[in-house]
Amino acid sequence: MGKARPGVRAAVLVAAGALALTACGGSGGSGTSSSAGGAGGTPTKGGKITMLSQAEQWNNVDPQRVYTGEDLAFFSGTIFRTLTAYKFSKDAKEGTSIVPDLATDTGTVADGGKTWSFTLRDGVTFETGAPITCADIKYGVSRTFATDIITNGPQYAVSMLDIPADPAGGSAYKGPYKKTGQDLYDKAVTCSADGKTITFHLSRPVPDFNYTTTLAAFAPVPQAADTGEKYDDKPVSSGPYKISVYKKGKGGQFILVRNDKWSQASDPYRQAYVDSWEVDFGIDPAVIDQRLISGAAADQATIAYGSLQPSSLPIVFNDPKFANRRTNEFDPYVRYFAVNVKKVPNVKIRQAIAVALDREALRTNAGGAYAGDFADGVIKPNIGIDYAPTGMWDGLLGKTIPSTGDPDYAKQLIQESGQPAPTITFDYPNTPTNAKAAAIIASSEAKAGITVKPNPIEAGQYYGVVFDPAKAHELINAGWGPDWPNASTVIPELFTPSGGFNLSQVDDKAFTAASDAAKVELDRAKQAKMWQDLNKQASQQVFTVPTRFGRDQRLPGAKIGNAYLWPAYGSWPYGDMYVTQ
Amino acid sequence: MAVDVDTEARAADGAAVPEEIKGRSLSAIAWGRFRRDKTAMVALGVLIFLLACALFAPLITNLLGLDPYSLNPDAISAENGGVPNGCGLPDSSFFCGLSWQHPFGVEPGTGRDLLARLLYGLRISLFIAFSATTITVLLGTMFGIVSGYLGGRTDAVIGRLMDLILSFPTLLIILALSGVLTQRLEAMGVPEGNPARITYLILVLSVFGWPYLARIVRGQVLSVREREFVEAAIAMGSGTRRILFKEILPNLWAPIMIYATLTLPTYIATEAVLSFLGVGVLPPTPTFGAILADSVSYMNIIPSYLLIPGVLLALVVVTFNLVGDSVRDALDPRAGRV
Repeated sequence: MGKARPGVRAAVLVAAGALALTACGGSGGSGTSSSAGGAGGTPTKGGKITMLSQAEQWNNVDPQRVYTGEDLAFFSGTIFRTLTAYKFSKDAKEGTSIVPDLATDTGTVADGGKTWSFTLRDGVTFETGAPITCADIKYGVSRTFATDIITNGPQYAVSMLDIPADPAGGSAYKGPYKKTGQDLYDKAVTCSADGKTITFHLSRPVPDFNYTTTLAAFAPVPQAADTGEKYDDKPVSSGPYKISVYKKGKGGQFILVRNDKWSQASDPYRQAYVDSWEVDFGIDPAVIDQRLISGAAADQATIAYGSLQPSSLPIVFNDPKFANRRTNEFDPYVRYFAVNVKKVPNVKIRQAIAVALDREALRTNAGGAYAGDFADGVIKPNIGIDYAPTGMWDGLLGKTIPSTGDPDYAKQLIQESGQPAPTITFDYPNTPTNAKAAAIIASSEAKAGITVKPNPIEAGQYYGVVFDPAKAHELINAGWGPDWPNASTVIPELFTPSGGFNLSQVDDKAFTAASDAAKVELDRAKQAKMWQDLNKQASQQVFTVPTRFGRDQRLPGAKIGNAYLWPAYGSWPYGDMYVTQ
Repeated sequence: MAVDVDTEARAADGAAVPEEIKGRSLSAIAWGRFRRDKTAMVALGVLIFLLACALFAPLITNLLGLDPYSLNPDAISAENGGVPNGCGLPDSSFFCGLSWQHPFGVEPGTGRDLLARLLYGLRISLFIAFSATTITVLLGTMFGIVSGYLGGRTDAVIGRLMDLILSFPTLLIILALSGVLTQRLEAMGVPEGNPARITYLILVLSVFGWPYLARIVRGQVLSVREREFVEAAIAMGSGTRRILFKEILPNLWAPIMIYATLTLPTYIATEAVLSFLGVGVLPPTPTFGAILADSVSYMNIIPSYLLIPGVLLALVVVTFNLVGDSVRDALDPRAGRV
């Protein structure tokens, strides 16, 4: 799910003890879990679910360009089928395990993890009725390489497939529009003679490549229907629904209706309970929350795109009438401040910044217990075996650090560094909550003699600014969630020069080598240990100051069934939801 | 003061008495009219009180033992989303969050005292509004007089310049230019951070504000310059500067004063809007706009957090407007109220 949305409070959130609130109803063991969230009982077919969105349009609808967690969950549950998919379950382990979707199984691995093959099911078709073949998937994946037109999407195909780099460092294959290096791509992705089996040849062993194939970037696209940039407005569906209306702007709508060419027999993964989906764009977030809280008859089959506003939480969580509807779970994101090592090269100074910080006040400001637990690294416990406590606040920095900060020890660290107390600038997306956070950071760092200047950046341009090394400052507000349950989507992304989210601008040869070694380690237990060590190193070096393992609170309409937080994407389980009649 | 016998006699008769027959200065007459306007006097009283509060904000907060910057984690509930104690519960009252210790309540999330923040915010708002009004008045008067008196090509050039500025979508331009121009100011030696941002606000507000006044002044000058005393001055060979500033300017004080008192509150409101939109002053310095921007999302659970800053801002703007109206009535009774 990559980066956390900046302005929108993608994840903001609740304490560990509160888990019990939503731990009613068992975790569904099967592909579809039983009652959770809103309505109970057995799932029924029919009805319409309406989703209210603050945004005025989708970020992207083109399968190769969709990347945020909520969008991946929505589109893969409704219109894009992929080779593999995440199980529908609210259980952290179940909900992040994979099942076959377009493929008959979760892939066959050969050549020590460098070759992956998937065989397609019989009877899978597009909304046009045309059968989905290996060529369609191969074409879809190839679009990822046309980085000038197909923007915003994940770049895993580019970095993993066995295609040489060009002198500029990009891939030698330039995508299906320019066709430069097409022969190289045709060698890296091959189809069997009957068009049923697709084989990916990778440049290095990727033991968990079948998790990568859950991304919509690996969804099929019929070449004849590809309209390039405009495909973003009306992509061809391979799932149980198809797009009937897509009107952008305030008051705009996105409506999905049943795709009559889809057959349940070819798709045991999706139950496709509801008859249609409607997304209403451009609604004020306070209005969205108000409609869900008041729960008028017309809004009972309604959900919100994303989480509740922090100011709605006391209303929803103090009123017992919401007890069987509200959800309060860990989301996939770690909230942290990246420390720019190019601007703060001295590790003692970085440690002093971390030590002085009043994390307790920051968490209270973000929503207190709803905001999440204190984080000790960039790997979150709900990722599974890759997490181990780093001890960042329990001695790793030389001393146990209270959650309210230890300015005296920070002063001592600054003295040990042999440098004067620094003046740093804090970059953050400009929202009222972040402005208060900036004040908390400044006042707690000031106690250790560190001067902090706030630098608010317009939320819509935030990541564009902080990714520009010329514009990024010392301390950068950020959030990150893994793309699948392996820290290979966290550590290399955040702390190596080739990573896509290296806000700390780390370029440490030894660290990169260790990260590269962990990426290709085939023994999963050994690999987990390597990630744990790297996470500990990163914490000790203070590449980031991790502040919170975020939580997420939602309130579905009273008639929505299976409204739980899906651990796979930290989202609604769109493909599993239904309306009680 | 000695009262002449004639008046005293008539007063004894119980007849209507013109209070003063004696010659009085124009300003004394105006002040007399102003004093008889009850609304104006009440508004003026409130205004002076608010100004004093803003001016002595550090003193007042010190006396009350409050501070606009210190966090009060004890006044808020971390278990309940960081809102003030007692708020956001099913049985919370409308006045939740208010206490003797924090009479106006505290900010959710940090627990900073709202009364102290509002007083400090009022200072910044008034400083920006006063400075911007002063510059607006200077620019507007100067361009207005020159344009009106000289006429011809000068008038045409200044007139088109004013048209140009008035045709800009002001708010958009202010938002769009804030980053670039603030950096420019910093490069020119204005201290980084709040000083540069406040300077920027004052500059843009006045640059986009002066044409309105300049047009009014120009209109007045057009009529005044045809009057006999100006012709006399010209005939006596006075220089242009003397005519502009000694002969014409004294006749323009009424419209300028009126314009200034009416502009000030709009600048206070505009500053709040800009801070609301994030162009204003940096945290942790409080401003009305920043406080209101944070408070709107809490209006369901902490009504006082939105109401108190909202009412206070309205009070400042309304009293200024009322005083401005009365100044106009007092200086120029013929205009009357519309």
